[in-house]
Amino acid sequence: MNRNIIISFSFHSLLVIITAMSFPFLAKKPIDIPPVISVELIQITDKTSIPFAPKAKKIIEKVKEKEKKLVSEQAPPKMVKKEKPDAVPLPDEKIEKIKKIKDEKQNPKKVETEVKQVSEFEKKELFDTNSIAALIDKSKVDSAETNKKLDKITQDQDKSIDFSGLSLSEEDALKAQIFGCWSIPLGLPYNENLLVRIKLQLNPDGSIIRSEILDHARMNKPGQGFYKVLAESALRAVKLCQPLRVPSTGYERWKELQLNFDAKEMLEG
Amino acid sequence: MNLSKILKNGFLILVTSLLLTACATQKKTTTGQLQGDVYTGSDSVEYLASGVPDRVFFATNETVLTTASRDTLRKQAGWLRKNSDINVVLEGHADERGTREYNLALGERRANSAKDYLMTYGISSDRISVLSYGKERPVDSGSNPLSWSKNRRSVTVKAN
Amino acid sequence: MFLRYLFILLVILPIKAFALIEVDITRGNLNPLPIAVSPLSIDENSKNNFKKILKKENLGSEISAIVENNLRQSGLFNPLNKDAFLQKPEIANLKPRFEDWNLIKAQALVTGKVSLVDEKLRVEFRLWDVLAGKEMMALAFTTVPSNWRRVGHIITDKVYERLTGEKGYFDTRIIYVSEEGSKTNRIKKLAIMDQDGFNNKFLTLGNELVLTPRFSPTNQMVTYLSYFKNLPRVYLLDIETGMQEVVGDFPGMTFAPRFSPDGKKIIMSFAQGGNSDIYTMDLENRIVERITNHPSIDTSPSYSPDGKYITFNSDRSGYQQIYVMNSNGKNVKRISFGNGLYGTPVWSPRGDLIAFTKLHKGKFYIGVMRTDGTGERLLTENFYQEAPSWSPNGRVLIFYRETKTNSKGEGFSAKLWSIDLTGYNEKLVKTKTDASDPSWSSLLSN
Repeated sequence: MNRNIIISFSFHSLLVIITAMSFPFLAKKPIDIPPVISVELIQITDKTSIPFAPKAKKIIEKVKEKEKKLVSEQAPPKMVKKEKPDAVPLPDEKIEKIKKIKDEKQNPKKVETEVKQVSEFEKKELFDTNSIAALIDKSKVDSAETNKKLDKITQDQDKSIDFSGLSLSEEDALKAQIFGCWSIPLGLPYNENLLVRIKLQLNPDGSIIRSEILDHARMNKPGQGFYKVLAESALRAVKLCQPLRVPSTGYERWKELQLNFDAKEMLEG
Repeated sequence: MNLSKILKNGFLILVTSLLLTACATQKKTTTGQLQGDVYTGSDSVEYLASGVPDRVFFATNETVLTTASRDTLRKQAGWLRKNSDINVVLEGHADERGTREYNLALGERRANSAKDYLMTYGISSDRISVLSYGKERPVDSGSNPLSWSKNRRSVTVKAN
Repeated sequence: MFLRYLFILLVILPIKAFALIEVDITRGNLNPLPIAVSPLSIDENSKNNFKKILKKENLGSEISAIVENNLRQSGLFNPLNKDAFLQKPEIANLKPRFEDWNLIKAQALVTGKVSLVDEKLRVEFRLWDVLAGKEMMALAFTTVPSNWRRVGHIITDKVYERLTGEKGYFDTRIIYVSEEGSKTNRIKKLAIMDQDGFNNKFLTLGNELVLTPRFSPTNQMVTYLSYFKNLPRVYLLDIETGMQEVVGDFPGMTFAPRFSPDGKKIIMSFAQGGNSDIYTMDLENRIVERITNHPSIDTSPSYSPDGKYITFNSDRSGYQQIYVMNSNGKNVKRISFGNGLYGTPVWSPRGDLIAFTKLHKGKFYIGVMRTDGTGERLLTENFYQEAPSWSPNGRVLIFYRETKTNSKGEGFSAKLWSIDLTGYNEKLVKTKTDASDPSWSSLLSN
């Protein structure tokens, strides 16, 4: 018995010593540090901070300036991310409008929106044709670049809005409202096409003049009985949510709205 | 590598291995009633005759006879040879940690394991019938490994 | 000046070409739909007659209470408090004032009328879309007064189907094993009840051990395992007449029985010599067919709703797993591959899923997987639970749970539970006694 213990002990110690000598991670080796890439952080703040609200003309000049700057800085790819104007402490209202220019994906016509923004800045002055005329010339040049820019920056812009703590964009506000009103029927089959498209005609106050289900024919198709149920739930949601949380201006833009209700995300898994 | 490093590593490994050995599962209970997973105690065991236990036990999900089980069954075979007019029913059981229907099949298989072994000692199959109760007739109502081990059994019952 | 007009042109033209704004709504709430179930109106004469026949004060309220309760139990509806209802049943049934119902936030409304006509019970009901302000459905039923509970269940099925798109499951019964006594001395009886717990009846006396009862698709017959005379065999029981008969003439234990979808066969396990295989017996010509022939344990067979496939439990791989094969026994394929033991596979009436019990690391799970074994989803975990059974619309699973006993071996109980396919709405199915082995019937009204 004792002999066995001694043999066992010596073998174990041998094992321990061997492992100790060859344990790789315990031996210090030089760490491979990848070469440091220096990145120049561009402080947009310094160049564009406006301590008080100037007249619209000045704002427009600055917008054009900024757009030019952003366009030129597109060249070195690393810089793009840093161009988010999120650190800019401009007066909220103005920035909101300027960012809306970039946000309106549905609105490729830059000219119109900028015109509208101008009229919002100074509600008494309807059309200052001089400044607008100046704007038209420049914006034609800029719209091409900003279109390109838009694709790249769109994501960043969304983030930048949250980051700077501004209110939700028009679309997000409407979505949030309808999310709350839509009771998704739990009985729907989760492996089918669960998309209902509803076209709405709205009054300026957000109440509904008319609602129409696109794909109406699908409502009575055999085997698609759940579609009728889904469509009805979407209609109920829209009726419940009246008046819809529509933007306070730009009625022409959104007087006809299409809501695409898709229950797939909620019911999957 | 210098000596201090080796000693440091050695110490670390020693400590780690001690920790690991301490985690090894305790196979033997303090009362010594379980070996592996099979009940080896005498609680709940009855006797067909003096020195002839009436039952054998099994490990979880198993239908294999242990050495102790074969020993018991040999004694039962001896007793059956001496009392050639007695017929028996082998009742197979399972513990509650399984689905009901599968447990019925498992009990039947356990009882047949015991029957087959008795037959190797020359006991005619006409004298032995098999009945499974699955998990329906536990002998111990506890919900712990020891109780469950007592329920995993094949019991030899006099039929006449 | 020219510039002014140019500008106006440039501004106005593009305005006309506004793209239609599309907003994607991909989220909503999963709150139960607020629905108002108005007590059914009933005229004085009918009311008094029903009181005499059925001993119920107000049959109109009784029936609507069944609908209300069913809808609430489903987890998909939120029946609103009756005290807040502004319109009386008689008026609401004719043409509801939707503003009143809108006020209490009801999105749907059920109204109706009960009357005694030629000794028969006649019930009309209407379902209204409160927000759209129009009638969605109107139906009438005539039946014997004693069927009044079933009328409530049938109305619920109609309302449920219209609002969710799925067939209902309320006009159904559940057969189960009622249990009493200590864990080591359980008395078990076959029992049957309405899906909402009412009309409970015992079908056996408890003199012999009975297990795993299952409905036939016609709901008239039940198959189960009985230890009558200490011989465990599969039996058939006629619910209406109470007649029992043993299935086949097997020289050993038969167990785990189920009906084929057409009700013509019984599929079950037969155990002999330590081996359990799957067999079928045709109830008409009594022909027995062997389906599996393997030294492993093959049990818990369940047909697909089209009768073409069978899913079953086998330990041929060494441990309990789930397999699928053709109904003639060919083409056996294993479909469970996760960690743990799998048992009690049961094919959904919709044909799309197989529910099962899983045991892993000492815990029991009820789960579902697609019929090819993919998409395994565990719905609930417990110390001990097993044997799920599907509602006829393939949405709800009923199963049973047993509790752990304390160190003295006390505190054992077995109860029925149900859960929605989505994992929501896990709840106790109330029974007077302890209960296990539940099986759901198909819709009675089919």
